[in-house]
Amino acid sequence: MGEHGPALLGVDVGGTFTDFVLWRDGVVELHKRPSTPDDPSRAVLAGIDEMGVAPGLVVHGSTVATNTVIQRRGARTALVATEGMRDLLIIGRQTRPDIYDLEPVTPDPLVPAERRLELSARLRPDGSVERPAGDAEVRALVRAAVEAGADALAVSLLYAYANAEHEQRFEALAAEAGLYVSLSSRVSPEYREVERTATTVLNAYVGPVMSAYLARLEAGLAERGAGTLRVVQSDGGSATPQRASALPVATLLSGPAAGVAGAFQIARQAGFDRIITFDMGGTSTDVALCDGALPARADIEVAGLPARTPAVDVHTVGAGGGSIARLDAGGALHVGPQSAGADPGPAAYGRGEDFTITDANLVLGRLPPAGLLGGAMALDAARSRRAAESVASAFGGDVEQAARAVLDVAVANMERALRVVSVQRGFDPREFTLVAFGGAGPLHACALAEAVDVPRVLVPMAPGVIAALGAAGSDLTATFARSVLLPLEVSSNAALRDALADAGREAAAQLDRPGAEVQWALDVRYLGQSYELTVELDGIDSDESFGRAAADFHALHEARFAHRDDAAPLEVVNVRATARAATGATAPEPSFGGEPVDAVSVEAWFDGEARQALLVERASLRPGDHLDGPALVSQLDSTTVIAPGWAATVDAQGNLVLERR
Amino acid sequence: MTTPRDLPGLSAADLAIADAVLSSIAEEMGEALGRTAYSPNIKERRDFSCAVFDPEGAMVAQAAHMPVHLGSMPASVLAVMELGPFEEGDVCAVNDPFLGGTHLPDLTTVAPVFGASGALIGFVATRAHHADIGGMAPGSMPVATELLQEGLVVPPIRLVRAGTPEESALALFVRNSRAPDERRGDLRAQLAATALGARRVQAAAERFGEDGLAQRYAALLDHGERSIRAVIAGIPDGTYHFEDRMEDPPPGADALYLRLALTVEGDGVHFDFTGTDPESDRSSLNAVAAVTRSACYYVIRCLAGPDVPTNEGCYRPVRFTLPERSVVAAGPPRAVSAGNVEASQRITDVALGALAPALPERIPAASQGTMNNVTIGGYDRARSRPYAYYETIAGGAGAGPRRDGRPAVHTHMTNTMNTPIEALPLAYPFTVERYEVREGSGGGGRRRGGDGLVREYAFHDRATVTLVTERRAFAPWGLAGGEDGEPGRNVLVRADGTTEELPARAQVEVDAGDRVRVETPGGGGWGSMEPGGVSPR
Repeated sequence: MGEHGPALLGVDVGGTFTDFVLWRDGVVELHKRPSTPDDPSRAVLAGIDEMGVAPGLVVHGSTVATNTVIQRRGARTALVATEGMRDLLIIGRQTRPDIYDLEPVTPDPLVPAERRLELSARLRPDGSVERPAGDAEVRALVRAAVEAGADALAVSLLYAYANAEHEQRFEALAAEAGLYVSLSSRVSPEYREVERTATTVLNAYVGPVMSAYLARLEAGLAERGAGTLRVVQSDGGSATPQRASALPVATLLSGPAAGVAGAFQIARQAGFDRIITFDMGGTSTDVALCDGALPARADIEVAGLPARTPAVDVHTVGAGGGSIARLDAGGALHVGPQSAGADPGPAAYGRGEDFTITDANLVLGRLPPAGLLGGAMALDAARSRRAAESVASAFGGDVEQAARAVLDVAVANMERALRVVSVQRGFDPREFTLVAFGGAGPLHACALAEAVDVPRVLVPMAPGVIAALGAAGSDLTATFARSVLLPLEVSSNAALRDALADAGREAAAQLDRPGAEVQWALDVRYLGQSYELTVELDGIDSDESFGRAAADFHALHEARFAHRDDAAPLEVVNVRATARAATGATAPEPSFGGEPVDAVSVEAWFDGEARQALLVERASLRPGDHLDGPALVSQLDSTTVIAPGWAATVDAQGNLVLERR
Repeated sequence: MTTPRDLPGLSAADLAIADAVLSSIAEEMGEALGRTAYSPNIKERRDFSCAVFDPEGAMVAQAAHMPVHLGSMPASVLAVMELGPFEEGDVCAVNDPFLGGTHLPDLTTVAPVFGASGALIGFVATRAHHADIGGMAPGSMPVATELLQEGLVVPPIRLVRAGTPEESALALFVRNSRAPDERRGDLRAQLAATALGARRVQAAAERFGEDGLAQRYAALLDHGERSIRAVIAGIPDGTYHFEDRMEDPPPGADALYLRLALTVEGDGVHFDFTGTDPESDRSSLNAVAAVTRSACYYVIRCLAGPDVPTNEGCYRPVRFTLPERSVVAAGPPRAVSAGNVEASQRITDVALGALAPALPERIPAASQGTMNNVTIGGYDRARSRPYAYYETIAGGAGAGPRRDGRPAVHTHMTNTMNTPIEALPLAYPFTVERYEVREGSGGGGRRRGGDGLVREYAFHDRATVTLVTERRAFAPWGLAGGEDGEPGRNVLVRADGTTEELPARAQVEVDAGDRVRVETPGGGGWGSMEPGGVSPR
């Protein structure tokens, strides 16, 4: 343990690679190794061994919960619902995802009919008891769940957000019976029974898998003399293993959240706190808009299943390097959502036949001729050109025109995603900086920035490990939300204040760290509406705080929906409290130790003509260096395109800052 | 077939980009409308559609919201165009089923859009189902026999003139509802979404240029036409006949019959409804022609894949013969509210049934064939206010050659969400006590039909309940040897325990302690269970 404190390790487990960012003795170290999907902890522990370190703190972006759902490997789960409500998982919102599909495929419910049980006790809408819960019935239901082979029990009763008493009757009995227990009044005490039930069931379904995984990982870390473990949650904060085991549903979007959090950290250090993140990988693109803070949402969907849990508001579209181009029967060009994936991959990888976004970039000379991963992965340009011919001949152009058209359509798809998080939410993209990362983000950043009129692009020094970096820098957080359905008044918000104080205590208890700071927020709507907007509270002690929250709501409503009604009464649907404790760690200064390599000139196509572009190794760049487009900057797992009309400078942290000339 | 090489100056990429831009305008309008409306029917159930039109009124993009609005939105825009010439900032409205509407609760707002040059560069429109627009029963979906019983009729009018709301027109509309505050909120949300759409189309014109935008409209419509012609060309040529029926028998008959001769010839298709029963003066099961067209377009659209855009070019290869004054082309003064929601489902069944022999590997058995419309209204004494509430209930989907039918889902012409059970008592004096799958109601077969639903309401104050349903007597049909689904049931349970079976269409007065239970139909099964029966594929 030096003057810089114990080593801090951020880990992000992806489908193909597990990335590591180590902060030790004021130095950043990066590491990458293949993932071990059958047990992701093996790659994590192996990476730690390879780096030869016993970190004091390991913060972990985990795909365990997500993959458990996608692969349907979760616990055998039973559900106890109020009598007459046991099928809510099947009914959902009673809609179909694609209105023109005559035989839609829909996910099977996580709980089959034989494990959907009913309790005859009943609450009234205000939480008062209409029919009490008998001890014998509760015991019989727990027994029935065990006899049906359940390992986990979800309890979601009608109106339980207003009164948890009936649900709590199950807690001790089910735990005694060896069941993992998940109560809707703890997991998601918000009104709307379908979403609450779905969330509670998801939590029960992934709970045992997550608990076992974290126990394994903690044991492995202890063997190596490493310190504490934390898991990144969907809201970008991290959780103790205890909380992540009890509330695994809160980690479903761990990876994308860590990516946005990492990009936002870097951008802030570079002096930009209004950013749009652009994370493009092999199969999909994630975009998120941060206006001085991580964007929040309360609803997510994983593998077609809904959940209500705090998450970074990330919008995903099926456009990645492997997205396949094709012409439809009417002659329009489509790019994605079908993807060549990693296997067979783009034609350029030597196995596939499909013409993909990666192939289009190769045809246009925008990828290093030596190949990817520093030349370890060769690219077959001739094969890409052959794949392009089918598209080119279909609309009578040459191969370069086909490639350009494919990139134009791909950028239009990304533009549409970017408009969803900006223009549709009342933000003007011209006021933001685009932060591009992931393997393919920096390739398309200039084109996307031009399409939405963003004046500046930032490409971090290590765009391939941003999520691991976000994990390393994340604060410890615990959020607790509860439906209250109370008016928001200019004064006398006593009931609201009590509910907020309770929520704050609950969040702090879940965080279980002395000195934690609590932040409050309200989900507010005009009385009579049913869609809420979240506004922060700067305190809960004074009427002024509530007045400011009300004013913020009116302004936000106007920005989002182009109208406001200052005379209309406001209703607080949910109170939210987030307890937060900072790690105290800050990113070390980067080092620029790489051996400079001479730049070479390559041919690359822009706007329909071949141009000479400088190809520069990222490791050769030093703060203050300047590059005019067209130029390519190549590094291990990403290539940055500096388009004609753009210029890049390297800032003190090693970021490339691209601006239009 | 033409290829994109024939598109003047536009590439295959330009086409995809233009479709992305215009479709996202329609989607953005829908987002804004859904989030700012006041009634659960719009905000929770999302019973609305938004679309963008070219200056001639041809629909160039529609957000995938409600199938029943597919072919009927353009009729509203054409009707409103009669009010021209327009000024920047005008917004018009219409709900008259015989002048571009469908049924009275669906109010459509239409705004002309002007470019920087001052030229008309298109129209944007929103259509939303208003939960009460007057008439003889709360919810404006009554058991009616003529149009004026169903509510306020709004012919094409201006609601906003050059950016200034026509307050007297708004006041008249709002005052004719049982829930005027809700109407004001919903209408304001529609006007805001319309204005938003107009601004976005102007931005698209700045991006592509006004001529460039016009060129893209034309190219998109041509692309829609080519795409659908390719789909139709894949259906074997021939004339296919099918008939189905609704539960409103004319004197001396057992049912109200819909008859279709569907002719596929090359890359064109003709829907001929000659022989269909005349419009009904005993019920509101009358579809106006726009509704019938929507249902047929929907079926064709289902046969196309996700590549095909949703624009009016898709409809060019489709011809109709709709006998005047028939139940598929009703005229004034007939009642039409159930034509939109119930006859539209039966028209879909008839079209799919006709196509089944032509495309045996594609067409599923009949789905529930009704929307199970429930309206509840009255005076809420606890909140001291009148109210009107409307919802539809899902049922079983028909099984198909590849898969079992899905249980408890909205099918064909609707896709509205349920209102959360926990949201109801926050606003209304009734609760839902039971909401579950109706086990065993789907038809048997090699592929099982989806089960219907049970939804049981408990009332805590006096109320008027109106049920407009179908498939209570005539079951959703099985296909290829599969069994029929179970017909639905409507049951009234009084506080004292007496139980009464209600007809398919019923209006009843209920009191505190009474309950109404709606059991929705199961979908038909597909394929025989018997050895030697038709096997899938």
